[in-house]
Amino acid sequence: MRLNEAAVFKWVVIVGLAAALVVAVTLLTRPLVGSLLGLVIVIAGCVYAYRWARERWS
Amino acid sequence: MESATVTVGHAEHHHGPPEANQSSRIDRQTLGILLFIVSEVMLFGAFFASYFFLRVVVDPPSWPPEPYHLPVGVAGMNTAILVSSSFTIHYALEAIRRGNHKGLKLGLVATWLLGATFLFIQINEYVHIGFSARDLGFGSIFYSLTGLHGAHVFVGLMLLTFATIRAFRGHFGPKAEDHLGVEVPGIYWHFVDIMWLVVYVTVYIL
Repeated sequence: MRLNEAAVFKWVVIVGLAAALVVAVTLLTRPLVGSLLGLVIVIAGCVYAYRWARERWS
Repeated sequence: MESATVTVGHAEHHHGPPEANQSSRIDRQTLGILLFIVSEVMLFGAFFASYFFLRVVVDPPSWPPEPYHLPVGVAGMNTAILVSSSFTIHYALEAIRRGNHKGLKLGLVATWLLGATFLFIQINEYVHIGFSARDLGFGSIFYSLTGLHGAHVFVGLMLLTFATIRAFRGHFGPKAEDHLGVEVPGIYWHFVDIMWLVVYVTVYIL
């Protein structure tokens, strides 16, 4: 696979959707809940990004 | 005879430094921008560490401290503008991959305008926000984080300016190696967009 702009654009969409989810949850509940959700998403995102990068590089 | 053979052998031999290694998986320009982005992530990481230190460890009674308020709605609209610009630059690159030069120019101009609008609105926000970088640690970190990002948007706009001028001069083509001058700024622009999403959610929403 090749690393290019289209591959990075996919990450804009993923981060955009994650940010929208955190914003919605924060506005509907409390900032603490949004922060915890954000933390979970960041950890899950890091795991996914690691696997994605390995797949791209092999 | 022997000396002639030796002379021919030397002529075929490569002089000077060895050829730089070229990976078959990634071109040098894309690898360069990716390494640069990794260093930028670390730079932003340092600023976010300062932000969370001020907010969580120092733990002020309220955040933002009274009587300051952040214009969440305006910044949200600005976020939508910047996210849109990632779609337009992606459109520009998809267009040139299909050999559509008109689409490339349209996408680049739209991206430039959206980026400039974002920057204009952010400067306008600074003018009307009611506090400065000298007002508490909050003011310092707010201007540092958003200003650092704004500086990146400015650099991105410069790169887009060069890419747009080159597009109007017909420098780019459908093959991957013929439009690296748009691809590399495109990757940088996406990075700037992703960083803003993180800055917006952290500073304005949480």
